[in-house]
Amino acid sequence: MTNVAAEALVGDAAAAASPTGRRSPKPPIATWRKRERRIGLLAVLPAVLVVAAVMLYPIGFALWLSLNKTNGIKYEFRGLRNYTDLLTDPLLWQVVSNNIKFLISVPLVITAALCTSVLLFEKIRGWRYFRVIFFLPSVLSTAVVGLLFRSLFGYNGVVNSAVVAAGGQPIEFFTEANLAITVIVMALVWSGFGYQSLLLLSGLTAIDPAVFEAAMLDGAGWWKRIWYITLPNIRRTIGFVFIINVLYTFTSLFGFVFVMTAGGPGYDTTTVDYLIYLKAFGGASIGSGAALAVMLFILVGALTFAQNKVFRIGDDD
Amino acid sequence: MSSPNATMKRSSRALVFVMLVGVAFSILWPLWLIGTAALRTNTDYLRNPFGLPGELTLENFRRLLDTYGIGQAFLNSLMVVSIAMVIQLAIATFAGYGLAKYPVPGSKFIIGGFVAVMLIPGQVLIIPIYLLLSRFGLVGDFPGLIIVYVATGLPFCVFFLALSFRGVPNEVMEAAKIDGAGFFRTFFSIVLPMGVSGVATVAVLQFLGMWNELIFAFILLPDDSKTLLTPALAEIGGKFVRDQTLVSAGLLVTAAVPIILLIVASKYIMQGLSAGFSR
Repeated sequence: MTNVAAEALVGDAAAAASPTGRRSPKPPIATWRKRERRIGLLAVLPAVLVVAAVMLYPIGFALWLSLNKTNGIKYEFRGLRNYTDLLTDPLLWQVVSNNIKFLISVPLVITAALCTSVLLFEKIRGWRYFRVIFFLPSVLSTAVVGLLFRSLFGYNGVVNSAVVAAGGQPIEFFTEANLAITVIVMALVWSGFGYQSLLLLSGLTAIDPAVFEAAMLDGAGWWKRIWYITLPNIRRTIGFVFIINVLYTFTSLFGFVFVMTAGGPGYDTTTVDYLIYLKAFGGASIGSGAALAVMLFILVGALTFAQNKVFRIGDDD
Repeated sequence: MSSPNATMKRSSRALVFVMLVGVAFSILWPLWLIGTAALRTNTDYLRNPFGLPGELTLENFRRLLDTYGIGQAFLNSLMVVSIAMVIQLAIATFAGYGLAKYPVPGSKFIIGGFVAVMLIPGQVLIIPIYLLLSRFGLVGDFPGLIIVYVATGLPFCVFFLALSFRGVPNEVMEAAKIDGAGFFRTFFSIVLPMGVSGVATVAVLQFLGMWNELIFAFILLPDDSKTLLTPALAEIGGKFVRDQTLVSAGLLVTAAVPIILLIVASKYIMQGLSAGFSR
């Protein structure tokens, strides 16, 4: 499919290139524009087709699956029953409440990122190197970060050997729900704050320096400037960071949960995205998993829409 | 000293520096612990996890290679990610160029569509993609995963490249067109060389994203001989909960490539940040 488009592109571009040398009177603008439009369209076409085939079509397919009871071969239409079954299943609400517990990470990450970005903004000697170091966890896979934290907090891990050295008993961090969630939240903060502090830093850099100069002439101290100028000026960036964090706790915990607790003990650390995986690939209820996926998609869409709205309001005042 | 806060007192600046060092330490120290643990025997590690290794050993890496096929997984990852990246860049650079410099009908709609598609979480796609690929017999082999990686990364690539190609001055391109250069000549001799840093940024970010990807690689390549590095590591981590040094060695191998990439290409990665809602 892509090949055909590419060939068409070659043919068309050759046709476009060869007559240019020969033609003496300039062709009418309309023809020229038409050809330009066609070339542009052909250049974009492969990308559009691939995305439509491998992303948009599957979304539609997921919708269809969510209305069926299926094993992937046989389909039995059952309307919205997958959805109603899910919504009346206590397990779903337990899992959603787990996700809500993970939201604790949001203020923690943002606070850490804000402090770090304000410090970086001072442009201390070597700040460029600090920037790279702070970004380091963001280039690691969630599987790597998850295993790293499971190693640190494991039975034989560094944290436990510190506990033992202090005269305590080793702690099983991953067999108790709240402890496990705490460790996952720490992994989230550790891996997320650097990237977000750089996002906030780019917000800080965009503030007009004249504002700071004016404040300095007025004799405002460092803390006053932070509170009255810096923070209000980046509140939209903070809003953006807030939303991506909320989205992240609903869509990207899979890697952490997968390597750290496998959703256990029981379902105590199972998140919505992990439950989709469990349903579809562990419990052979594909339709139900698809319905959950569709609901997650709707949630993500709604949150993004809300974020856009908030941004508009920010633009107005 | 163009900083707006340049008037900060010397002593306060020193304090800020110390605090930044503290933050950097909180990131580097866990990595240091894992790095040293990977080079120790398990008994040596258990004696004192904080200390320096009593003796250095490559035993953990040897076990990973010989018993758990980590070498094969590493090569598989390298191959899948490189091929996907090349295909992706080929498609995305053309599309980005078209959107940036040609009057594509509905271009706003197309860009908006790509941005919207970027928000689709992988978990929403995994079930239908698994079923569709298995219908074509593509589950369990590399091409299936490559197709998925190419497609899921495309929206960001096209969006980013369209933005960065827009920066190529029109005058230069007009001049080339008057000289009779067509789409491909202009593309290869002007747009690509002038937009090379944008392309490099996308390449690095996509490479990282695919190298670190877990769920598609895990589900679509269930066979052990064809597994990629990240899922292989996840499985080793799941099986050997108490074998800290072995898991540490696996972590080091998996993390090494992204860390090296960050050090070598930090300039491009930082550039990508400003447009950086890639995930």
